[in-house]
Amino acid sequence: MHEQAQLRLKQDEVQKLGADVYVVLAMSLHRTRVFKQENLVLSTFKNPFTEEPSLVFGTALSDPAGCASALYGVSRRCLRAQAWVENDPCWFVIDRKGTLTCAYNPNFSSATFYEKDIDHVLDELRKAAKE
Amino acid sequence: MTCRSIGVPLIWGAIFAVTSPGRAEPPLEKYRHLEHPPTFANFNKGWQQRVLAEFEVVNATELTTLRAGLKDQDPFVRSISARALGIRGDKDSADALAELVKGDPEAMVRGRAVESLGLLKMKPDVIDLAKKDHVDAVQWLARMAAGELKSETESRELMQKAYAAGIQPEQLGIAKVGEPAPDFSALTSAGKPFKLSTVLGKKPILLYFAAFDG
Repeated sequence: MHEQAQLRLKQDEVQKLGADVYVVLAMSLHRTRVFKQENLVLSTFKNPFTEEPSLVFGTALSDPAGCASALYGVSRRCLRAQAWVENDPCWFVIDRKGTLTCAYNPNFSSATFYEKDIDHVLDELRKAAKE
Repeated sequence: MTCRSIGVPLIWGAIFAVTSPGRAEPPLEKYRHLEHPPTFANFNKGWQQRVLAEFEVVNATELTTLRAGLKDQDPFVRSISARALGIRGDKDSADALAELVKGDPEAMVRGRAVESLGLLKMKPDVIDLAKKDHVDAVQWLARMAAGELKSETESRELMQKAYAAGIQPEQLGIAKVGEPAPDFSALTSAGKPFKLSTVLGKKPILLYFAAFDG
């Protein structure tokens, strides 16, 4: 959700590049709807997004058995708090020809990593938009 | 191998059945014997085997075996059994799942059990209780399960259908930078079918595989 919040701040830039954004959750349709429509995580403590009703501007996709996640190699690898059905968070960039040009795992290494993650992903998206 | 007497194949068959590494192991036993069970230490190891074993347990284990799995000594077996019973829609297991939610010492078991009660749309009182679990992750799953209770979305049926479609071992992790993005199907949050190939080759695409809070 943090990554989605940061990406939303750059929504205009994503739209200028003519890109589509898809967010895949290895979860039920109900939980995918909650992810898309409610700000449950960042509303629980003070931050720039506390009052926002929703943070996801891309299309949220329910992949309840984790099939898509398994194709992309991110399934059953998010084991923190033993939450082993969730995805290992990962960005992929696909160019105009349908080729994967980047795979990037957020590194969660510092308090400002979300901004850096999105800057990196947008750099890769700019390259992909030129292809 | 050619056997010339009837006794030899019988004896040989008995030995083979006990010792052969190629003998099909029941899915839940396969899950029990995973070289890398779902622990943090195994984050990057054996995920493919975890995926395949989970599909087998959900799709191909007898309900009676899964119900017995809820009482297994191994928390990973209790956990996957709870998940599979919820996905399979086994309402007869609701009492046993409720007992796990209330008393299992392992958070991952309580979490999977409360999740399954949500899928079954049963035991709202137990789901409410789990909202006060001492582990945050279980509280979180209980809140989601409470939402499933009220939702008109047929989450369980969709989930069972997705597992039933199966997964091919050779497809695991095939996405590679520099190669065409693998196609997949999913449902949008509005409940509409989505296929990646229908949007590929038209626009640049950002694809994010998210954890719920990631």
